[in-house]
Amino acid sequence: MKIKLLLLATTLTMGITLQAQSKKEIKAYYGSQYNVEIMTLGVGNDGTKLFKVYGYGKSVDEATFEAKRNAISAAIFKGIPAGGGAAPTPPLTTDPNAEVTHKDFFDEFFKPGGKFLQYVNLSNDGTAGGSDRVKMKKGYKVGVVVSINHTALRKYLEDSGVIRRLDSGF
Amino acid sequence: MKKITSIILLLLATTTLFGQAKKPTIMVVPSDQYCISRGYTLVFDNMGSKVTLPDYKKALQSDLDLKLVISKMSGIMADRGFPLKDLEQELKNLESQSAELAMMTSKTSGAGIAESPIDALKRTAKADIIMDLSFEVKRQGPLRYITFVLNGLDAYTSKNIASASGAGKPSSAVQTEILLEEAVLSYMDEFNGRLMAFFEDAFAKGREVKIRIQMFQGMDFDLESEYNGKELSEAIEDWMAANTVQGRFSLQDATENFMQFEQVRIPMVNDKGRAIDTRTWLRDLQKHLKDAPYNIESKLYMRGLGEAWLILGEK
Repeated sequence: MKIKLLLLATTLTMGITLQAQSKKEIKAYYGSQYNVEIMTLGVGNDGTKLFKVYGYGKSVDEATFEAKRNAISAAIFKGIPAGGGAAPTPPLTTDPNAEVTHKDFFDEFFKPGGKFLQYVNLSNDGTAGGSDRVKMKKGYKVGVVVSINHTALRKYLEDSGVIRRLDSGF
Repeated sequence: MKKITSIILLLLATTTLFGQAKKPTIMVVPSDQYCISRGYTLVFDNMGSKVTLPDYKKALQSDLDLKLVISKMSGIMADRGFPLKDLEQELKNLESQSAELAMMTSKTSGAGIAESPIDALKRTAKADIIMDLSFEVKRQGPLRYITFVLNGLDAYTSKNIASASGAGKPSSAVQTEILLEEAVLSYMDEFNGRLMAFFEDAFAKGREVKIRIQMFQGMDFDLESEYNGKELSEAIEDWMAANTVQGRFSLQDATENFMQFEQVRIPMVNDKGRAIDTRTWLRDLQKHLKDAPYNIESKLYMRGLGEAWLILGEK
């Protein structure tokens, strides 16, 4: 009987441990720059792209800031999915290890108040509400509609030597 | 210090090599489907059978939507460092060039310009990469939307190297011109992404080209003739294996009179760092066959940046 109880207790403990571990993994998973939640809404003139992107933070402002950063991060590393009648946009970098190769550049580019802010505009700044603002256990998940100047961002990265130009090599 | 100097030299060498590869020309051409479905056609009788061909001149002169789409695409491509060859301008140039060639004579003897039938045949609008374009304004009740098909075709290998296609968002409020502009903006990034992958592949594995070896009539040898115990075709294959990037090529078809090589990967630059095209590259084979034990004269015929023929027997 004692042995049975001990086995049951051990199994339960193991289960809790595994569950806790998977929760941790899920948190890390969503924190990754490769897993930005994004939904394309359309394209605009002069190389702008419009999409809805989500960010997480302790406050709404923090989550909105992260959403802006996620928007640029997606354009550079992940690409923008198809939607709203627009075809998918491939990532600006073709180097799968670009964030490691150009770590110093991206650390500077994505720092709070960094240059990435020049290429992103909010279409509903400060007004995220309803289903776009979800109160979570430790903060908020905020969805914002942003437009990014994709062409200008590409040119800046090309000029900085972070990505290759289409005609480089010719 | 030596290491730093070596790294700098290596980087400079790489930049020089990359900076010298031959740049392909790109041209937007309306697809046959686009031209024929709108009546931009030339119909002629080919020995009893009716042949319908696209009339590009008519399409470009009368279709404003087409001009708008080509203009938008040209702007985007120029911005990416690939100014497009304009089909309309190219057709005009060819017309005026033909007229000038026909009229030109030398001052001293009055001799005209030498031109073989092949020379005349070669005077056509061409580019290394063709952007084959189709689009259509469709209706869904009161809404209009654009279907857009863009294929990037390698003019020599006939391979589809980049493509983008799909249907736009239906709208009732926006003008057709805006919908067309939106379609171009929507699909060009995807297209250019694939084009970029194609170029990166060419730099890594070599430019993919087509080579044809032919024989002139009445020669006293053919591709099965033996030299030092090896058939000529085998010697040519050995040369190809030694001179292609990582020995990549495939012999598509062969007889005693011809050899058709496809998926031949040639380097973008030669040992001296000079940009090469298929003709320059094949010239080395021409020289190789001219030497002993072969002593074969040959004619090198260029079909563009990515295709060349070597015709054995005579110049």
